[in-house]
Amino acid sequence: MKLYFTTTHADHKIALLAALAITIHIIESAFPSPLPGIKPGLANVITLFTFIKYGWKTALQVSLLRVIISSLLLGTFLSPTFLLSLSGALLSLISLILIQLPFRQFSLAEYQPGAVGYAIVASISHMSGQFLVAWYFFIPHPGLFKLLPIFITFAVILGLVSGIITQLLINQIQCEHN
Amino acid sequence: MLTIGKVIFKVTDIIILFAACILTMQLYSIFWFDGSQQGKAETLLVQFADNPPAEYSLNEDRILQLEGKIGSILIEIKQGKARFIHSSCRNQFCVFHGWLSVAGDSTACLPNRISISLKGTISDYDAIAGSQ
Repeated sequence: MKLYFTTTHADHKIALLAALAITIHIIESAFPSPLPGIKPGLANVITLFTFIKYGWKTALQVSLLRVIISSLLLGTFLSPTFLLSLSGALLSLISLILIQLPFRQFSLAEYQPGAVGYAIVASISHMSGQFLVAWYFFIPHPGLFKLLPIFITFAVILGLVSGIITQLLINQIQCEHN
Repeated sequence: MLTIGKVIFKVTDIIILFAACILTMQLYSIFWFDGSQQGKAETLLVQFADNPPAEYSLNEDRILQLEGKIGSILIEIKQGKARFIHSSCRNQFCVFHGWLSVAGDSTACLPNRISISLKGTISDYDAIAGSQ
């Protein structure tokens, strides 16, 4: 019996983007964070780029591959860290889809947010997703909510920064649409 | 449309940024400057052995005299706080604990098998690992 194994162009694209995101994620995890729970989240630049350029399905695959493979490489697979990472990634993608939905539905494509707007939405929802999971599963205490404003402040600032980086990346990279 | 360097800020981006700033300020006002009654104690629970706890209001000042397992104890309630003022036990840990003032605060006299704790709308502690 012969097995034919073919890969499509889309697979190569996903693999390339996921590899980039994993690399950034792992390099970033080597740097100590100034405040616990706050990371620049530069790997999300790749997710955002993918979302804007290729749509949410590709972005979902890249994002899931990034979360799973980098956790395997870092040794945090199925640990609380992995759960936080996964919940943040999923919620940020869901909110990106929800933000984009009305612009697609009512053919207002020219008004849809640019990289900066999407980045801020993604960053805030990433942070809140992680926060809610941390609160629900690990520290179910109302006092934790005192930290939420600080986290969201950093999410807005870091979202702005990663949005600018994404915009520069989009300017820089010429890619075909499909 | 606003362009700074090579970065394009669309109108929607700016709206989202403003909304995010407003959301952040709202969160600060909700979670930091909330004048709620969090941590305020309302009732004193007194439990003897395995009996269900008896409740006393913290609003009226009074002194409770209770019979424990080895002798009598006195508990004072004053201005929303409570403390042991006398116990017949040897170590007097309960008396030295001093005032209980925050919801969730608790102390006990083990020889007498009496424990007291304060109850409020929202407890300030999730678990107590001993305060002595």
